[in-house]
Amino acid sequence: MRLAEFAAVARLDLGEVLRSRWLLLCVLLYALLGGVFVLVGLRESSVLGFTGLGRVLFSLCHALVLLLPLLALLGTVQTVNRARDDGSLEVYLSHPIGRGAFLAGVTGVRLAALALPLAGVMVAVALAGSAGGQAIPWSFLGRSLAVCVALLGAYVGVGVATSVLVRNPARAMTLVFLIWTVSVTLLDFAGIALLLQWRVSPQAVFALAAVNPVQTARMALLSSAEPTLATLGPVGFYLANRLGANALFALGLAWPALVGVAAWLAAWNAFRRGDAV
Amino acid sequence: MRIEVRDAHKHFGPVHALGGVSFDVEPGRRVALVGPNGSGKSTLNRILMGLVACDGRVRVDGRCPFGERVAVARRMAYVPQAAPQIGAPVGEMLGAIARVRDLPHARIERTARAFDLDLASLARRPFRSLSGGMKQKLLIALALASDASLLILDEPTGSLDARSRERFFELFEALPDATTLVLCSHRLDEIRPLVGQVLQLHEGRVAYDGPADAFLARSGLAALDVWADGAEAGAWLTQRGFRRGASGAWHVTVESAAKLPLLADLSAALGPRLRNLNARDLEVIELRDGDVRDA
Repeated sequence: MRLAEFAAVARLDLGEVLRSRWLLLCVLLYALLGGVFVLVGLRESSVLGFTGLGRVLFSLCHALVLLLPLLALLGTVQTVNRARDDGSLEVYLSHPIGRGAFLAGVTGVRLAALALPLAGVMVAVALAGSAGGQAIPWSFLGRSLAVCVALLGAYVGVGVATSVLVRNPARAMTLVFLIWTVSVTLLDFAGIALLLQWRVSPQAVFALAAVNPVQTARMALLSSAEPTLATLGPVGFYLANRLGANALFALGLAWPALVGVAAWLAAWNAFRRGDAV
Repeated sequence: MRIEVRDAHKHFGPVHALGGVSFDVEPGRRVALVGPNGSGKSTLNRILMGLVACDGRVRVDGRCPFGERVAVARRMAYVPQAAPQIGAPVGEMLGAIARVRDLPHARIERTARAFDLDLASLARRPFRSLSGGMKQKLLIALALASDASLLILDEPTGSLDARSRERFFELFEALPDATTLVLCSHRLDEIRPLVGQVLQLHEGRVAYDGPADAFLARSGLAALDVWADGAEAGAWLTQRGFRRGASGAWHVTVESAAKLPLLADLSAALGPRLRNLNARDLEVIELRDGDVRDA
């Protein structure tokens, strides 16, 4: 893959992202969430052991672990199949642009377009909180951002893979909504419901929850806090006690990133070996 | 660039798009790829561009286009029949392509100017907002400016006005003799001046592979419009395949070779009942089932 090919695709896709309303929607949602939590959270008293700015960031991150997968999936699910449909992929690939460069360029731009505004909003929230005289929890902020980027990576990879593997854009969209729904519902409580209703073994429930990138990211975000059952949920509490806070954080970073890379590699493999159009 | 295709097969699920296609195109040859809709022309184009995999042996200048697509694409240019709906502004799109091709922007501008396109004024306009003709002219300008050794053109002048079509033929004439052309077209005014060889596909097989002159002689069409008086004349015309239009004229489309004998028969049979007639050669070719060559 030549750098020039990657740069050409990335530039074109960046233009597409900047022109689309999708990026604006992401920034507005991030800003809205950040604004609401700053306005409401800073005035509230301690909740679940988090106070002041820490609580604001904690609440924001909790909302983000549910929102980020959806934004990442929506932002990537039509990158390849729509280009196939409208004929632009055929024209671009008739020029010396490698398929790997195309996929990497699009993926890199989409990930950056999701992560950079998020970083901006999180820093802005921290600065807004510090304006009220509170100390900025830089360590928590850095860890949260890293986990959020890893989570974005997971679902950007899944979204790109869906876009490559499912040629029909409408079907691909339905599939990513299904993936998001399963991801955000298969957390602790759905797992425990499975356990009680179907008498699934606890190990299976814990494993099921732990392979869900949303759950591992959520546990990693909470790993810096006191591991209590109320905040972590049963699965998180069990894993936190088994693994420890640092391992939980490492798992929350590594597992979503691994899922994203694996999904992207599967997409690349299919894109490389199959018919491009 | 030399093209060599041996026993190329391609399935899309149950659909057999190509069923054992074999042909050669020597460097510098200009070939028309013709065939009815669904005959496999687009699939074959995409195979030559390395966008679609197939069974069999396909080589473009000795390289497998699917496995070495980028290397082949460097020396190849393509103009699609339907311009893509690219949202990027013209300047952004051309800039990206110029960079990957190491193509001086001035060269694209010069070719575009030949089609009366001012790239500076179009630079900020989204490509998809241009008219069909402008998109086509831009893509042709880009292809011709790229100095490609192989041009794959799919109905390139379909959306062009007469003047632009003329400019296209002039620019095409100026291409080096070594440039190989694969032209998908049904239009005689494209095929006649541009190609020396015709490859006809029918249901995924080669139905004709030979000189363009021989193909055009048997595939040209002519249209006849006849105005005649009386029921007897009507019966004679109906028997000869004419159909009466709303204006009262009788119409028929025949092979070019059958035009003159039919005109002679007409005047002999209808005599004074023949009030007027209009005979013209059509600028399209007839795509009949040919004798499918054994692949």
